[in-house]
Amino acid sequence: MMANKVYIIAYYTFKEILKSKILINVFFAGLGLMLVTYVATEFTYGVPERVALDFGLGTLSLSSLAISLFLGATLLSKEIDSRTVYMVISRPVPRFAFILGKILGLLGIQALNVFLLSLMTLITVSVLGGNITPLIYWAIGFIFLESILLLLVVVLVSLVANNILSTLLSLVILVLGHAVKETQSLTFVKNRGFFKIVLEAYHFILPGFYKLNLKEFVIYKTSLPFDYLLSSLIYGVAYSGFLLALTIYLFNKKNID
Amino acid sequence: MIKLQSLRKVFKSDLLTQPFVALDDVSFDVPEGSMVGFLGANGAGKTTSLKIIMDFIRPTSGAVIFSSKLGSSKLEIFKNIGFLPERPYFYPTLTGHDFLLFMGRLSEMTTTSINHEIQVWAPRFKIDHALKRELKTYSKGMLQRIGFLATILHHPKIVILDEPLSGLDPIGRKELKDVIIEVHKEGKTVFFSSHIVPDVEEICDRVVFLKDGKLAFDGSVGSLITDSLAFDYVVSVKADFSFNPQTPFKSVTILPNNLKKYIVESGNKDRFLVEMIERKYIILSIEMNKPTLEEIFYQTRGTV
Ligand SMILES: Nc1ncnc2c1ncn2[C@@H]1O[C@H](COP(=O)(O)OP(=O)(O)OP(=O)(O)O)[C@@H](O)[C@H]1O
Ligand SMILES: [Mg+2]
Repeated sequence: MMANKVYIIAYYTFKEILKSKILINVFFAGLGLMLVTYVATEFTYGVPERVALDFGLGTLSLSSLAISLFLGATLLSKEIDSRTVYMVISRPVPRFAFILGKILGLLGIQALNVFLLSLMTLITVSVLGGNITPLIYWAIGFIFLESILLLLVVVLVSLVANNILSTLLSLVILVLGHAVKETQSLTFVKNRGFFKIVLEAYHFILPGFYKLNLKEFVIYKTSLPFDYLLSSLIYGVAYSGFLLALTIYLFNKKNID
Repeated sequence: MIKLQSLRKVFKSDLLTQPFVALDDVSFDVPEGSMVGFLGANGAGKTTSLKIIMDFIRPTSGAVIFSSKLGSSKLEIFKNIGFLPERPYFYPTLTGHDFLLFMGRLSEMTTTSINHEIQVWAPRFKIDHALKRELKTYSKGMLQRIGFLATILHHPKIVILDEPLSGLDPIGRKELKDVIIEVHKEGKTVFFSSHIVPDVEEICDRVVFLKDGKLAFDGSVGSLITDSLAFDYVVSVKADFSFNPQTPFKSVTILPNNLKKYIVESGNKDRFLVEMIERKYIILSIEMNKPTLEEIFYQTRGTV
């Protein structure tokens, strides 16, 4: 019964976003990208399939992060501002089901986006004679996971900040989450205990997005240790679960007016 | 059905502004099977009370108690409530039909029974022709109607409406009032807020009156009228043209054929009548000069 209500909310959320035609834009961006890739490969020596893969995964990653950032920031606030949320939570629908439904609906859009763009990428790569390695699938999966994690960050922040601020703040968290890896390996930081502690503390609290970034590996390597992949996967899922729980907890306490 | 117990709500918007007391010790009861009008001027706290009842916001102190007839868990209780928010706004890209399906399914109805209810009610609300259209093409009145339809679709035991009649033209108001009366006759409890006093007076048996966040009155429409003001009486007598009563009166209208209409305060009524009888004048009629609820509302500015 409850799963059914979550599904209904997710279904109508999905439908509403789909009607806003965002995916059509994404689709044409993808097409344009394939064209650009084709042109670019004409001018590069030797490794056109690598360029195609680089471009493809890059677009995929950018578009799904953008969807999370921009649609995630308004996912709940739009409902609250326009008071449509009252229609739903005055029904026998607990607030967690509402949140879950909204998030799953948007993730449906994400999934569709990932599916379309990665299909285009994979086709382009194989047409150009590249090898589709399992690591490519992992990379695509991790891009999806990264966009889920970012979405949950945005939704959580949007409960306490306005739309623009939550997009910006989440963008900062995203960038830091990628930069934290490089910063850690700087000798400057390594030699100073204080910075090390700050970084480690940061690491402990904020999401290490870099763990989900396989793009570099995928382009220059064909495989990674399974342990590494598994631990990153677990990290991403566990962190997402934690953010979701926190969001539900805060939304349950929130005064909606 | 629903009991509010010493509700208090203080809004603290930010550090610089003073905390604002929107509700102060508000207690009242919405009895089962009644039709209760919830009156109060703009900003009196009606919407705030309804939001607390619906658990959208939490009271600073006090509680809302639901009758066990509505259910024992929040989900069960909410299955038996039909709520229409103030100035309702719905997903603009959904069609009317999709919207009703969405709402009905959230209230655990089957698609078949939703479609059945739509067939029954949509023509009554004159929106059957527009059900395939997206809600963003609906007029304000149409949105209000389809919102009301969604509110009663699942046969709730209590219907809670926040200003359901605002934004409707006179004909639309009449139609919606008729449906509210019909829904009430089916045995549902109805609780609705309004500042259109004649509407409340017309269809409600009880009123709850809020003023500046405080309960000003709670009781039957009739007793609000009898309690709040001392009445005047209109006494028509047949008397000599020159007659001037000893008992004080407010005004007199002189009509042809020695007819006179006196307006007498209720405190002087008996003395006035005795004087008439002693003088053997003919009393043709005595009427109570009842003020309307609206007159009370505006005379007292909501203080009863
Ligand atoms: N979130 C809030 N923060 C601060 N003040 C608020 C908030 N919500 C409501 N108020 C104040 O509480 C008071 C009561 O508002 P409420 O909406 O309950 O009035 P109402 O009786 O429904 O009025 P109306 O007839 O205009 O709809 C108003 O003065 C309003 O400004
Ligand atoms: Mg109001």
